[in-house]
Amino acid sequence: MISPLSRLLRANISAPQLAGYAAANLVGLVIILVAIQFYRDVSSVYSGADTFMSDDFMVISKPVSLTSSAGFTPAEIAGISAQPWAAGVGRFETARFNVAASVDMGGRGMSSQLFLESIPEEFLDVRPGGWGYTPGEEVPVIVSKDYLTLYNFGFASSHGLPQLSEELIGMVPLRLSLSGNGRQQWVDARIVGFSRRLNTIAVPEEFMTWANSRFSEQPASDPSRLIIRLDRPGSPEAEKYVSEAGYEVAGDKTASSRAAYFLTLLTGIIIAIGAVISALAFIILVLSIYLLLQKNRARLTDLMSLGYTPRRLAGRYIRLIAVINLAVTCLAILALWGASAEWRDPLSTLGVSPTPLFPTIFISLIIMSLLTLSTSIIISRSIRASFRR
Amino acid sequence: MDQITLQRVLPAVFRGSESEPPVSSSEIWLRESLTFYRPDTYIIEAESGTGKSSLCSFIYGARTDYDGAILFDGTDIRTFTIDRWCELRRTTLAYLPQEMRLFPELTVMENIEVKNSLTRFRTRAEILAMLGRLELAAKADTPARLLSVGQQQRAAIVRALCQPFSFLLIDEPVSHLDARNNAAVATLIAEEASRQEAAVIATSVGNKISLPTFTLLHL
Repeated sequence: MISPLSRLLRANISAPQLAGYAAANLVGLVIILVAIQFYRDVSSVYSGADTFMSDDFMVISKPVSLTSSAGFTPAEIAGISAQPWAAGVGRFETARFNVAASVDMGGRGMSSQLFLESIPEEFLDVRPGGWGYTPGEEVPVIVSKDYLTLYNFGFASSHGLPQLSEELIGMVPLRLSLSGNGRQQWVDARIVGFSRRLNTIAVPEEFMTWANSRFSEQPASDPSRLIIRLDRPGSPEAEKYVSEAGYEVAGDKTASSRAAYFLTLLTGIIIAIGAVISALAFIILVLSIYLLLQKNRARLTDLMSLGYTPRRLAGRYIRLIAVINLAVTCLAILALWGASAEWRDPLSTLGVSPTPLFPTIFISLIIMSLLTLSTSIIISRSIRASFRR
Repeated sequence: MDQITLQRVLPAVFRGSESEPPVSSSEIWLRESLTFYRPDTYIIEAESGTGKSSLCSFIYGARTDYDGAILFDGTDIRTFTIDRWCELRRTTLAYLPQEMRLFPELTVMENIEVKNSLTRFRTRAEILAMLGRLELAAKADTPARLLSVGQQQRAAIVRALCQPFSFLLIDEPVSHLDARNNAAVATLIAEEASRQEAAVIATSVGNKISLPTFTLLHL
């Protein structure tokens, strides 16, 4: 049995208008949420803690040419260190001797010529335990993550070989043959970490100093690459200085930051489209409410004349809107869940773990709470305005 | 609430014609101070167009287009919030508007319930008894839009009585009633007013409500 009051207030409520609002708002909200979640998932590729793409480091080198030396002179290094944006400068030290590595895999030996480099420990993005070297002990080695990816997805799958995990590779003992200066020596080594920042095979500085002094025939040369820690990510002063000096910024950092930029831009556009749709839906709702309250104005005035408070009358309409908005939110979250499942698998094959849905769901709750709140305020004010004829 | 005081009250429409009738001859407009006391009964007699419905609307807080001040127990009613007005209309001030303002799509009983469910002042049996005294019991389930004006007037009176009140404000309560119904309405209102020790302010254009004793004022 519907109470007489409900029958009075329900008059003139337009179901098609409310359904139109709900549908339009649902579309807008789903677009916003899916864009946000996709951005968060995909951008974790660019902004993970151990990635090379994090903007606060920069690896620079000189362009290779026929005439000029490819090393940084001490004066140039001092010049860079003196810049306010350079929070730290590290030199890439190269092995000036022959290195060959061999692996013993259940009787089948594999051997390869190698190169080694070292940088100060503070510039490493992975900090494996036991980094450092004392003669006679195992040499810890950090390898670029790209090499493992290249092997797993390029080499292994085409040659029918098993794919290797980081943990498995860490268990394989390596033997390094160091030779030069009339000497030769075997040392044990182990891969202890994979770096996204360094595109090299890195060993501790202590080992490099020891080995260079023992096996090198040439004197120490200027470093060909420098790693710089910036005072803030993507410092434009740093980029300006580097390009004016004619240095090259290493790797695909610029490409990936360009990709990240386009991703941000694209996400921004899509979120804006979703927001416009939601805003239009909100305007439809507001117009529909004004129309409804205008049509019911005499009734509302009469009810307040009987002693009904505006709050009590507004509560009826606010509850209706809140229920609709809650349903829209639930459906949008469901759609978000379904859509994100579509890209979850392809992303995890790329080694990217998708981010949790909760923060995006939280955003949807905030958006819808704000919409409900503004609608409530509009309804309350409009009803209070009907207090006097 | 025990007193309603009017201090130099004048409807905005009469601004500028203070020295002409009907303002100059009025016993209410522009009076330095006029107080209605509880539990007295007042009948305000007026010709149409002299602003008696305006007066009721001013006192009920439904309109504010007047000069001067109206005080409830010494407090200017212009300071009241909407919520305060709504509370007064549930607990202190009962009102029968001249145009009744029943909801046409609701039945007589439903119209009364809309008020009574807010105040919970009467039982269903009491409401039916009041409708019976005003010869409306048979119409309880008839939509208000199908009633004659006289029947609507009586239904609206029953609705107005479904709340506690210190002042009952009735705007032309018997304009469409015959002598028999006028007497029935008057008896019911007098009974309720004395039971609640309330004041009654009734307006009339010609057909006065037959209340036993009253102060007569000409607007």
